[in-house]
Amino acid sequence: MQLMTPCDETADRQGRMHRPWGPVMGAVREIGNEELARRATALNRQMGLAAPLGAPAARIYDPLPALLTAAEFAVLEDCIKQRANLLSLALEDIYGAQNLMRSGQLPPALVFAAPHFLRPLHTRGPLATQRLGLYAADVIRAPDGRFLLLRDHTGVVPGLGDALSLRRLATGTLPELFRAGGLRSIRPAREMLVDHLQREAEGGLVAVLSGGLAQARESEDGFDDALLARALGVMLIEPGDLAARNGALHIKTLSGLLHVATLVRGVSGLDLDPLEQGGRPGAGIPGAFGAIRAGVLSILNAPGSKLLESSALRPYIQQLFAPLLGEPEKLPLADAGSEHLASQAPFLGPDQEIIKAPLCLRLFAWHDGREWQVLPGGLGLPLAVGGKPPSLGIKDLWVLDSEEPRMIAGVPPAEPPEHVKFLAAAHLPSRLADNLFWLGRSVERLEAAARLLMLALPRLESGTSLPRDIAERTLISRCLGQAGLLPPDVAGFAISGRLLRQTLAQRRPVDKLLQEVARLVDASSERLSPSMLATVRFALQQAREALPNEEAALPAMLSFAATFAGIAAENMSRDGGWLFLEMGRRLERGETLAETLAILLNGPVGRLEPGMALGIEIADSVLSYELRHAGIFAPGPVLAMLLADLSNPRALAFQCHALRACLERLGADDDAETARQLHQEVTNLAGGGIALNTALGGIAAKLRQLSDRVQRRFFTLLPEAHTLEEGEILEAAQ
Amino acid sequence: MTLYRLHHSTIYDYAEPVVLGTHFMHLLPRERPGQWIREAQLDISPAPDCRRDEIDHFGNCTTTVSLAGAHKQFSVVLSATAEVGLPAPPPAPETPRWEAIAAWGQQALEVAEFCLPSKLAMPAGEIADYAAVSFLPGRRILEGLLELNQRIFTEMSYKPGVSNNATTAMQILHTRAGVCQDYAHFMLACLRALGLPGRYVSGYLCTSPAPGQTRRRGADQSHAWVGAWAGPEIGWVDFDPTNNLLVSDEHVTLAWGRDFSDVSPLRGIILGGGRHSLHVGVDLEPVLT
Repeated sequence: MQLMTPCDETADRQGRMHRPWGPVMGAVREIGNEELARRATALNRQMGLAAPLGAPAARIYDPLPALLTAAEFAVLEDCIKQRANLLSLALEDIYGAQNLMRSGQLPPALVFAAPHFLRPLHTRGPLATQRLGLYAADVIRAPDGRFLLLRDHTGVVPGLGDALSLRRLATGTLPELFRAGGLRSIRPAREMLVDHLQREAEGGLVAVLSGGLAQARESEDGFDDALLARALGVMLIEPGDLAARNGALHIKTLSGLLHVATLVRGVSGLDLDPLEQGGRPGAGIPGAFGAIRAGVLSILNAPGSKLLESSALRPYIQQLFAPLLGEPEKLPLADAGSEHLASQAPFLGPDQEIIKAPLCLRLFAWHDGREWQVLPGGLGLPLAVGGKPPSLGIKDLWVLDSEEPRMIAGVPPAEPPEHVKFLAAAHLPSRLADNLFWLGRSVERLEAAARLLMLALPRLESGTSLPRDIAERTLISRCLGQAGLLPPDVAGFAISGRLLRQTLAQRRPVDKLLQEVARLVDASSERLSPSMLATVRFALQQAREALPNEEAALPAMLSFAATFAGIAAENMSRDGGWLFLEMGRRLERGETLAETLAILLNGPVGRLEPGMALGIEIADSVLSYELRHAGIFAPGPVLAMLLADLSNPRALAFQCHALRACLERLGADDDAETARQLHQEVTNLAGGGIALNTALGGIAAKLRQLSDRVQRRFFTLLPEAHTLEEGEILEAAQ
Repeated sequence: MTLYRLHHSTIYDYAEPVVLGTHFMHLLPRERPGQWIREAQLDISPAPDCRRDEIDHFGNCTTTVSLAGAHKQFSVVLSATAEVGLPAPPPAPETPRWEAIAAWGQQALEVAEFCLPSKLAMPAGEIADYAAVSFLPGRRILEGLLELNQRIFTEMSYKPGVSNNATTAMQILHTRAGVCQDYAHFMLACLRALGLPGRYVSGYLCTSPAPGQTRRRGADQSHAWVGAWAGPEIGWVDFDPTNNLLVSDEHVTLAWGRDFSDVSPLRGIILGGGRHSLHVGVDLEPVLT
């Protein structure tokens, strides 16, 4: 039974190197296994950086491609178009006229019992776009060289994000391989897909719908959704971002409610519409099904399309080629359990050796409104044989060029796709703006706490009982109380360093602040660049590792805050996302400074010296002050430096000025005017002659009000949704 | 044939304003053999920004509305005139054997899904044992159905407040108490345990008791009962196990599905609102012609 032995992807029947593999394997030999393993590590790292939350641990990529010759691809392309056509016709019938069930070609009991048969999507006429818009097929090469279908993907189509991203990153990490052979580019196909999606949306928004991003960290689907959104250049959103108004779906963004016309679905259809399916309101989009039926929303694929993946229906669907298409099947089904007969391809093994393992090819197709288009690429997946999950990586699938280069058939884009505008600042979803704002605040809060503790600990430790030292310790203790680092019952007393250490050990306030920062970094990650995220996460990790001893960790906290600030300043473009990060930081710094100075500068002018010295130190301005004023503390210069100096990034006026600039950029003119007035007030205050602590308290209060207004103006402040439903027997009936 | 005038109002009063509300309703009555809707209208206040009247998978009328303006009260008022007189089934001994119905039921498109379990009417071994008493081998379908209808009526006690929208047939088997919704779910689970098609029917029951008779349970309220399929010739026959009735012209059908969750009269998702109170009024009066 020669034919039942799996064939080798790289060799022909006679065991000679299959011609197309020559250049690739040659390049691999030249690179050497050790270097190849290093490149694989680099490739995996880059893929991890391509999505905001990083790749899940289980997801690995193989540096070696899977290959299809132009002729082989042409065969598969034909098979896949035929199958996609058939599945689409069957799906339209099941959710429409139901003739296949009426005639018994599909057993009604099987369809009706399938959990993915979604009754609310059974409609009289067709939907605005066909229900199956995206399709992927997993195929294997049988021992006789024929391709066999292993499984269909008709619901959520997994791996498209990988397929569109892997090539781009592999070209960078493994340039030698790409020099080896001419292969078809997937870029024109991707651009056609993007163009098609944008055209269908008719000016509405196109987005990838992902299950809550907060939970996406460990989920492979969430990772793929994020890659896909980036590859298509569209927004990544979650069900909670959307609300039905006027019967259509809208997302709240900084520029108001935007109509969402097309969603590429990364979540199951089973709980998509809590209004019609029951279920928890926050888990889905109430009104989504109505919007689909009314033609104001298209989802790729329409909810309920996963029905076609049912293994019970598959043999019946296979019988439909002749009745529906009038032609025999081109792609036969693989028998159950025939994975072990799949062809073997070279993979980079865990010990840097090249090993042969069974391969499955995943090809992707989409319907462009006229016909099916097959991506000239895809993925090569290691197959689990014998129930053991493979520890090998996912491959890029290459389609080699034919002798003559050939254009992909289809409508050429009439004009450059307009999708870029959807990622503009104004289209920042309110949820993200909210997260970035709080990220800015929480990083600043962490920094302020670390700075205050670093100043406080040595002073509380070494204090004498001289009146000046006691006064200083009392001031510090009050500042610690104000910052929430000491409980109110001890704040304000001249406490000892030991007590502060005990409190830190018990209450772990720095740990809590750091956790909040980490949470918000995750929640904002889709608008932070990969390198920024990597750096910030690395710094966060270092800060965390230092944490078991909160005191020793303080320099690491300051270093984290400095890294964060530096990278935000140098790596983020100054549009929507950055503006909110900046406002959060400036508001927090302004409030904290005003509150702290209100404590430190409280008292008659003659007794302000310890407070002024502390203020200059907290504001990290010791050196500047020394240089300018030779270290002699006097109210005039101190107030000028802490309050009015626009060249000092820790002065109160600097914060007001920066806030004003952000608000003007966002078109919030009335709030910008408030910031301008605050700036004026602060400048006046530096002139002296006013009761400083009351005035500073007033400024802190006004900054808090401004913060509230910013939140109301820009962020989602909708109350939580809940369900109303009564039984048939209404107790209130009368 | 009896002509009815139907009036059903549902009013929600919210403690706090609702800022966004989306509601999905099965409140416009459908037509069926033996029921004609002469007129029906659903008045919704405040006026919705968007309203869609559609026909669902089961052929029921659905209405979806969205309200984007803040409101403290939401009211839905149905006014309809319906003519009802379901065809009487043939004498029970002349109906097919129940096993034949179960076999047919699996094949026929319009019937197959009503043989299948659903969340609230899920058959189980104990329920099958209960049902089998009325469906001995070879028994005529209508005989079995009438007996089952009567047994459920006799052995269950009508108790408002002991069940809710999520109460399942299995729970009812143990408590043997509930309201019409529970009677219906239990009978449906019995039928499906034997592979027989059964559907959940929601609607209204005429209020006026005939002289000398007691007031029917469920009168002046939304009501629910069971449709059972008796083969391609006879079609669907409706039973009201809450009142031990074979449904003919006292019931006005609103909608049907596999169980309550397919035909929930009014489901809404609201933002805001705080606590709410609900006032429902149903009037079903025969019109003398």
